[in-house]
Amino acid sequence: MMAQDDEDRRAWFRREILPLEPDLLAYARQFCRDGQTDPEDLVHETFARAIACKTWREIGNPGAFATRILRNCALDALRRRKVLTITAVADFERIEPIDEAPGAHMMLESREELRALADAIAELPAQCRRVFTLRKVYSLSPDEIAVRLGLSVSTVEKHLVKGLRYCSDKLGRRIGRKSKVDEGRSWSARRDHDAKR
Amino acid sequence: MERETGSRREAVRQAAALWVVKLDDASCSAADRAAFEAWRAESHEHEAAFEREAVAWARLDRLRAFRPGLERPDRDLLAPERRLTLPLILPKISRSPWARGLAAAAAVALTVTGVMTFGGGTAYATAIGERRVVVLSDNSRIELNTNSKVVVRYRHGVREVKLVRGEAVFEAAKDARPFLIKAADAVMQADAGAEMAVRLRSDGAAVTVKRGAVDLDPEPAERKDELRLKAGVTAIYSSAGSRSRAVSDSEIDRALAWRQGAIALNGQSLEQAVAEFNRYNRQQISIVDPSISGLRLAGYFQTTEPKSFVTAVTSAFPVRASEGTDGAIRLTRRG
Repeated sequence: MMAQDDEDRRAWFRREILPLEPDLLAYARQFCRDGQTDPEDLVHETFARAIACKTWREIGNPGAFATRILRNCALDALRRRKVLTITAVADFERIEPIDEAPGAHMMLESREELRALADAIAELPAQCRRVFTLRKVYSLSPDEIAVRLGLSVSTVEKHLVKGLRYCSDKLGRRIGRKSKVDEGRSWSARRDHDAKR
Repeated sequence: MERETGSRREAVRQAAALWVVKLDDASCSAADRAAFEAWRAESHEHEAAFEREAVAWARLDRLRAFRPGLERPDRDLLAPERRLTLPLILPKISRSPWARGLAAAAAVALTVTGVMTFGGGTAYATAIGERRVVVLSDNSRIELNTNSKVVVRYRHGVREVKLVRGEAVFEAAKDARPFLIKAADAVMQADAGAEMAVRLRSDGAAVTVKRGAVDLDPEPAERKDELRLKAGVTAIYSSAGSRSRAVSDSEIDRALAWRQGAIALNGQSLEQAVAEFNRYNRQQISIVDPSISGLRLAGYFQTTEPKSFVTAVTSAFPVRASEGTDGAIRLTRRG
């Protein structure tokens, strides 16, 4: 069935591709060192292309699959630009793709994550934080929150959207954890590799 | 150009987040669900963005772990200033040595008044009837009124002063260092050279700008002109929202007469005047007879001399004063 197929594809995307976001972002930054492209845009576009993949069942290494897409996105962005700088192209050859099993490095220790989430909520503006607390901690409906705080339902929704956007970006940047693909390491690893050859 | 693509990305993510919020609401209509399906079918960009926001939304369900039993909802449960209490709600999270040290410091703070340094901030406080001027390292000034408290801290190069209790006048130095003032729920950013008074109320804060300008709730994304307070404006900020009005210089001077140790009344009710005096004195005044609380007063009184105020009231109005066994002055209607 078509609908079930779409659901399966989205589930695969959630399970295999989305958790790669912090690594993809770190990877994307290496293509964006000239400041002309926004790494978040590259990741955003990578997600859109990845979820479109109809042959997802055949993908053995989602990390390599996603980095390949991201690289293509970056190249497309480069081509769209009028002036191609030589260094920007040279950089591409030196950047290593993510080649680890997704999920393994993704699991934040759960208590640590919980604390990081609470920290993120605490950083929201007061009214937004309150709406979010009532919705997510106390599970009140938007209608109930609107009555309780004397707001319109659409204002409650706006606060929830704002809070969610803040938190989803934090989660995407892997809150409370150092990025696994750090520039210095992958660069020197590559050079060692070259030297051995 | 890149900014344009960034805002496009943000627009898609915002739209996705709104669908996530709407679909998770039991009152979401069938028409809304159909509209969502149509939106998602428009592009894989939409589809992927929705999955991203939906997964984050689901992960945030873990926040339910903070819910302390069956008590009625506390909307400020996760407020920044409450974060220290979280380890108590979550016994599984071991309290760090840092947190223990902070708790110990807080215990000490209870026994010492005046200046206390803890958690990276310095607290300055006044007792009832006391006034105090604090000059910060960059020559910014804070003048504390009676029974007031501020906490000053420097974070990421930003000078942040939180009014915890009472009332204070803030004068930002001429240099351009960001000066953030927090009071109740309001966050204000004072321009260099600005002078403003902030007073906490039962539900929020009142802000009066005497010189320069102040941004209320500065947020780069949604800077609004109506939230910029200029000299000669007073704004009341509460959970219900904020409203502002123009005030004359003389009105500002009267409101700030406490800096000269005075209370300036200009047509306030007896009830308001009594409340004002009670801020400055341990000896409290109470109005026993509600029929006199609406009497209007004018005059200039010393904050620390409630008795001369009472004498003025009893000689000008049909009011009698008597001292109760607890030392409080009781005002009743005469005759």
